[in-house]
Amino acid sequence: MIEISLQLLGFIAATVLVVVGIAGMLYLDNLIKKLIAFTLLSDGVNLALVSLGYVQGGIVPILEPDASIFEFPNEAALIFGPGIVLTNIVIGVSTTAILAALIVVLYRRYGSLKASKVLKGDRE
Amino acid sequence: MNEAVTNLWSVPLLIIIPILTAILVNLLYNKTKAIRAISVGASIAVLAIAVLSPYGFHWFAGHPAVNSDGTYTFTASVFSWKLSLEYYYGPLQQILIGLMSLLLLFTVLIATKSLSKNLGPYLAIIFLTYVSAAAVLMTNDFYHLWIAVELGSLLVAGLVASSGTAYAQKAALKYTFFSALAGSGLAISLGLILGLTGYVNITDAIHFLMSNDLGGMYAVLYVAFAFLTLAWVYAGGLVPVHPLKSDVYRSAFPHGTVLLQTQSKLMLVAIGIVMLRLFGSLPFATDVMLVISVLTMIFGVVMALIQTDLRWILAYLIVSHSGLVTVGLSLGTYRGIVGGIFQALNDVIYMSILLICCEMLLYFGKGSTSIKFGGGVAKKSPWLAAFAVLGAMAASGIPPFNGFQSELILLQAALEQGLPEVAAVILMVSVSTFVALFRAIYSIFLKPEPEKTSESYVGRFKMPDVVFISLVVLLSISLILGVYPQLAFSFINESALKVVLVPWVP
Repeated sequence: MIEISLQLLGFIAATVLVVVGIAGMLYLDNLIKKLIAFTLLSDGVNLALVSLGYVQGGIVPILEPDASIFEFPNEAALIFGPGIVLTNIVIGVSTTAILAALIVVLYRRYGSLKASKVLKGDRE
Repeated sequence: MNEAVTNLWSVPLLIIIPILTAILVNLLYNKTKAIRAISVGASIAVLAIAVLSPYGFHWFAGHPAVNSDGTYTFTASVFSWKLSLEYYYGPLQQILIGLMSLLLLFTVLIATKSLSKNLGPYLAIIFLTYVSAAAVLMTNDFYHLWIAVELGSLLVAGLVASSGTAYAQKAALKYTFFSALAGSGLAISLGLILGLTGYVNITDAIHFLMSNDLGGMYAVLYVAFAFLTLAWVYAGGLVPVHPLKSDVYRSAFPHGTVLLQTQSKLMLVAIGIVMLRLFGSLPFATDVMLVISVLTMIFGVVMALIQTDLRWILAYLIVSHSGLVTVGLSLGTYRGIVGGIFQALNDVIYMSILLICCEMLLYFGKGSTSIKFGGGVAKKSPWLAAFAVLGAMAASGIPPFNGFQSELILLQAALEQGLPEVAAVILMVSVSTFVALFRAIYSIFLKPEPEKTSESYVGRFKMPDVVFISLVVLLSISLILGVYPQLAFSFINESALKVVLVPWVP
């Protein structure tokens, strides 16, 4: 019962993080705050993926020599969750780096971090 | 060439060679001659591999999803999950990656001719953009699909920002912020499908969905479909992302946009096919795709009609014609899928002709692409004017060029499905494309040059050989496919049939 609740809690926390992240990206005016909101969103997705691979009373998905190959598939946690999270962390860092670089370049050009000022559409 | 379930090593070379080239040219930075030699050599190498490689699989882990005797790997064995990360290289991949490799070669040749600053990092981004689209086209697992789409979106931002203007940097920032949303959506979609089926391989996942009753879990499948649709819309610049994508197309160097629009169209095809294979049997799935496609066609072409700059016109027309590609796929029929894929192929070719003409006007003619700027280019460069007019004819669906053939198939497919309103929108797009393009072409190329004005193109255009050869080759392909469309059908038909009849087969 406690284990089920843990998975559920994981999904609830992930949903909160994703919603806060999306809201922050959409409604905050400061570009750095938008960037922080993106990291919250990314963390929420990671938490959701980890929670997805959770198996009640499960074991680490490494097949030991003495393990039963008939029981292992049912007991082992889904290995892809952590695998995807690892990749998502790398992607998140890359995206953050590119966003940060672009924000720095635009800050030097406009002297402001306000999205309403910096991203104002002025066609060449 | 025979299809075989063998672990082909030519297939990953299409990814590895461009990645190594990107690393190398990035390190060389500004050593123009060395960068030019390496990047041209690598472009020719991937083109040769794309043309010569046999058909078959390459699997990175586990085993192929389809066995050599035609059976599938999915069995109710003790291991309820299988690690089958694989690429598939078939006729469809061959023609699409072959064309993209040719465009990569032209892009590299033109970039090394027109740019000198920061050439290494710029070409590195070009090569990695190629990698992202090639991976999406070949992959038969969600893991590679997700990584390639994410990589592709970051590279689009890099390619756009590298043009150095404030508008381009803003476009790149907005696009990257949205990529964060779409990328997260794609990750969740992947996680949900994985959670439902236990398979990361698309073939295995489809087979599981077809042979198991999901019961109350169908709602989860719909959520996964919604998130995958978000990624599809984002990768292809469909409604409602079209303003971001048109900004991107407009802001990059025109030769960069050649590769950007190729990447977008090919990703639209690849992800669209995955969506049809996986969710095609879900009620409303193709309807949702169709509505998005029709809205994209309408919004794109209406925006193109009100622009006064050829680059903006092309940016919106590329978006609008993306809708033509997806409308075919969304119909979900054999003819519709053939029409959609053929339209993607044709669209990439004629839009590249027009974009290279823009490159000539801007960087070799030292002028502008605005219709209010001077005129009389046809007198100074008759060849360029001829290429622009013929490219615009192909884009407008005028015979004997390739655009006509694919739009005809799309019309037939829409009417066959009992959707005359969709056929009417396709016709409207075709006519509006003609009006938007020829209004600009008349003002820039055909209208007499005003006397005594400071706003004029310098002297006589000297068209570099690489640009001339690129335009001749692309126009020849456009004409050949317009007269002999069956040349392309022999590559496309099999894939379209598989999607309709045996969707689990890549």
